[in-house]
Amino acid sequence: MCAAEPRSPLSVVAVPAHPMIAELPSAIVDIAARRGRAGDLAAAIRAEFGLDLPPPGRFAASGDTTAVWIRPETWLVMAPRGAEGALARRLVETAAGAASVVDQSHGKTRVRLAGAAAPRVLAKGCRLDLHPAQFGPGQAAVTPMAQVGAVLLQRDATPAYELVVGSSYAVPFLEWLTDSAAEFAGTH
Amino acid sequence: MHRIDCPWCGPRDEAEFAYRGDATVRRPAHDAGIDAFYDYVYTRANPRGWHTEWWHHAGGCRQFVKVVRHTMTHEIAGTGKAGDSLPVPAE
Repeated sequence: MCAAEPRSPLSVVAVPAHPMIAELPSAIVDIAARRGRAGDLAAAIRAEFGLDLPPPGRFAASGDTTAVWIRPETWLVMAPRGAEGALARRLVETAAGAASVVDQSHGKTRVRLAGAAAPRVLAKGCRLDLHPAQFGPGQAAVTPMAQVGAVLLQRDATPAYELVVGSSYAVPFLEWLTDSAAEFAGTH
Repeated sequence: MHRIDCPWCGPRDEAEFAYRGDATVRRPAHDAGIDAFYDYVYTRANPRGWHTEWWHHAGGCRQFVKVVRHTMTHEIAGTGKAGDSLPVPAE
């Protein structure tokens, strides 16, 4: 059984606050199209959420709902944390059998990193080239970040990034991120 | 360090991948006999030259990527999805 009120893994440790970093408490749901049903799933999601499931390397957003491509015909759907399981139930009803839906809200933690120095913060643990010529708003990637498997997306040109990591790794990941960002605390 | 062009994710560092061996072996018929299955499981050619092999994009999209790599120079001639048939350059 799940706890009725999920608690962030970051709520039990004292990670120093940093002006560039904030947790985004989220409902996070994995949807994987069943064989041959990707078109049905895309149509259903478009009708219900008003967003087009994005191609590889991209994310799409509509209102406060975001869908990120993570694997062929598989996406992470994220929204601000609401009633427990509500987003997953809505996706199950929307997909109507066209997708396998797995609620990852307890298993994954979403963090925002924003500021002019953000690419330099991430560069210490990220193999991707985050120069604006190579990675920009609307793009997303699944890549190891500081030895932790992460979903990375760039929200805007600030640049503002969002990172989704496994909750079991959220504490050491945030410690790394905060440490990496420490030198930019006064300059962001 | 290789840069492997994942058909889904684009060029990524080798460290995101796990090497998964020869991509040319084919499972024998179920009644082919123990020798054929021994070869299928264990016998590999270990060529000096172009080799078609699997690289699992474990740190990214988790798909198996087919890679044509030169075992001596480490040059990569092409990558593709699991079902793709990739041209192997002449030596």
